[in-house]
Amino acid sequence: MKKRIVITGLGLVTSIGIGKDDFWKALISGKSGISEIDSFDTSEHTTHFGGQVKNFKAEMFLDRRKIKAMARASHLAIAATKLAIEDANIGLKKRNTNKVAVMFGTTGGEIQEMEKMDIIWLKQGKEAVGLKSIVQYPVNNISANVAKELKLKGFNRMFTTACAAGNYALGYGLDLMRLGKTDIAVVGGSDAFSYLSFTGFNQVRAVAPLKCQPFDKNRKGMIPGEGSGVLILETLESAMERKANIYAEVLGYGLSCDAYHMTQPNVEGVSKCMQKALDDSGIKPEEVDYICAHGTGTRHNDKVECAAIKNVFGDRKIAVSSIKSMLGHCMGAASAIEMAACCLAIKEGILPPTISFETPDLECNIDCVPNKARKQKVKVVLNNGFAFGGNNCCVAIRKFN
Amino acid sequence: MKKKAVITGIGVISPLGKSKEEFWENLFKGESVFHEIALFDTEGLKVKKAGEICNFEPKAILGDKGLMDVDRASLILMSAAKLALDDAGFKITQENTHSTGVSIGTTFGSLYSISKFDQESLTEGPRYVNPSIFPSTVGNSPASRLGIRYNIKGFNTTISTGMCAGLDALDYSRDFINLDRADTVVSGGLGDLNIQTFLGFYKLGYLAGLKYGSTEEMCPFDKRRNGIILSEGAVIFIIQNKDAANSQKKRIYGEILGTGSCFEPGKFYKYSRKGEGMKRAMELALEDSGIKACDIDCIFANANSTKDADLIESKAIKEVFGENVPVTAVKSLVGETFSASGTMSVLAALGAFEKQSIPAIANYREKDEDCDLDYVVGESRKKSISKVMINSFDPNGASSCMIVGKPV
Repeated sequence: MKKRIVITGLGLVTSIGIGKDDFWKALISGKSGISEIDSFDTSEHTTHFGGQVKNFKAEMFLDRRKIKAMARASHLAIAATKLAIEDANIGLKKRNTNKVAVMFGTTGGEIQEMEKMDIIWLKQGKEAVGLKSIVQYPVNNISANVAKELKLKGFNRMFTTACAAGNYALGYGLDLMRLGKTDIAVVGGSDAFSYLSFTGFNQVRAVAPLKCQPFDKNRKGMIPGEGSGVLILETLESAMERKANIYAEVLGYGLSCDAYHMTQPNVEGVSKCMQKALDDSGIKPEEVDYICAHGTGTRHNDKVECAAIKNVFGDRKIAVSSIKSMLGHCMGAASAIEMAACCLAIKEGILPPTISFETPDLECNIDCVPNKARKQKVKVVLNNGFAFGGNNCCVAIRKFN
Repeated sequence: MKKKAVITGIGVISPLGKSKEEFWENLFKGESVFHEIALFDTEGLKVKKAGEICNFEPKAILGDKGLMDVDRASLILMSAAKLALDDAGFKITQENTHSTGVSIGTTFGSLYSISKFDQESLTEGPRYVNPSIFPSTVGNSPASRLGIRYNIKGFNTTISTGMCAGLDALDYSRDFINLDRADTVVSGGLGDLNIQTFLGFYKLGYLAGLKYGSTEEMCPFDKRRNGIILSEGAVIFIIQNKDAANSQKKRIYGEILGTGSCFEPGKFYKYSRKGEGMKRAMELALEDSGIKACDIDCIFANANSTKDADLIESKAIKEVFGENVPVTAVKSLVGETFSASGTMSVLAALGAFEKQSIPAIANYREKDEDCDLDYVVGESRKKSISKVMINSFDPNGASSCMIVGKPV
């Protein structure tokens, strides 16, 4: 029999709120975290809005010396991890941390450091590039810095599977528990707002000018964002033993690869991924109450995702919302933040809305929970994550009983 | 029930060889392959040598089509994968594509393209940068291109745990076989040489030849060791479950018997002096495989020729295995291929099974009193070899080990 695995803690650092309470309050009131970008000059870009986390103060989570020694994606990840550990009330000090795993996903890692290096390189030559950025740049710094700060000595993994990376991290945490290799895992995603990624998405004409409108007929694209989401994953045994508060049970997950195109998702691959998540979880499509969509707000993604949902779930109008309408696309952190939203939706019996929804689109014939949060009993939730290169990962969770 | 993960295909693109035969031949010959870098300009830098892959012609392996806008990292990876698929005689079909996956360890595989895109955008302006470079700036781009090229639909995963990434990717594949998430995984490690990565290690003071009076030499455990020679390459294995491989009458090169992985919190990019993480990872791998330390025939050390790493590893090995286990260091010949390094050692181990001989550590001349294990130096050593330990230790704190067994 498969081991039962549960989620017992949530940590969030997002553009709409820091900590699960502020995040959730903002989420169900339909607050947007999208604002004018101030971390770099956008005057020569086509668009100027992003989902930056503007009120984050690293000092609240780390001492000054460490803040200087690390870069932003690590700051965000450590903050979210500390919030999640506090929320789960694990009591790390009394625990042997040899078996506490750390799994993170990211798209860009500490890309801001590379961007700093490139500026110096171009201005002063390659020899002038400073050591500080070089030390901080490697992507495995995120999971390593989290483990260093909290003295976590178990498995340490960094997934760079782009926009589905948070789900990948959670999935592998689940697998390690099923294999009996670990009892507790800190899983999540973190990405810092990046000039490179903003420029790139602009150049492939994927960015909306002002707002992100998933599933809307006049949707104009995604909006890059940043943030970190962390979940504490635990075997049911471990959670019961310490009488932990349980948000939800993780039933299973599915992976697929489109093997189709570097930037365009495809219906077959996405359908297969959802189906595999259901199969791994041992549930039928009709049991799913809510889908937390990948829903980026690009013409192609939303159309493909809705067609795939129809493939797997048939004509039943299932509730599918995209919180990227509020947060923008937080890249490697997106699916982890969305998973936290799924946990809270189950706990509170409320579905977060898709905001900025104005005009229905026949190509997106789903119930997108438009503009207003909805009270509804939620038992089983599917969280979708589709990434660059067609790397897909969907996770299913259920109300714990 | 636990399944068994076995290796049924090998592909390699490296400075030591662009086929498994050539790699093994040069490995046992013990000839150094490092030379002055031609790939980029090292003017103004004190270090000139690297393990650059020479005469690499991806079109000869991959054909002419579909290689536009594909960067060097992806070309190296896809070429190694093609060789591995051919070696295993494995064809991806409508029937098996969904149970076949890709799991790759790479940390800097997209760095060249990241910097190229970024610098072009800074110079030309954000509206004038070539958008076709953008897909290559994402960390999973080499693995994704591989998935697309060979139509592999089961899953596609990129793991970026620095020097441990290659072994971690193989570990992931083994877990996926055990959990029945896949029947076959195209899995390995990748590190490509580029000015960005080179400059990073240069500035960190990691490269051999930087200190006054030192030489650009990769000489693990030698008293003269003073840093790494940066190198590049990819190793890809076809990993399958043993029963399926046997029923298909596949040639089996080796079996993954156990893995151990952990983290030791320490300083930034400095190996932790106590070597607790290294010891624990080796012990965990022994425990996982159910093999006693005395049954390990040889250790393929992480040994990257830096002062600290080799010393700390020697002490850790001594504590777990005692002094009598033979130790070799493949990096002396192939260089530091970073995220591919663990997979280079696995490939060397498969060669050792084949030849029943341990490849020697190259360039070993001066004994270091503090590193006092049974290092295999001078000539390769004939010995019956059936179980070996592979070590991968990242200076950032991650430690991963794997025990590989000869097919029986």
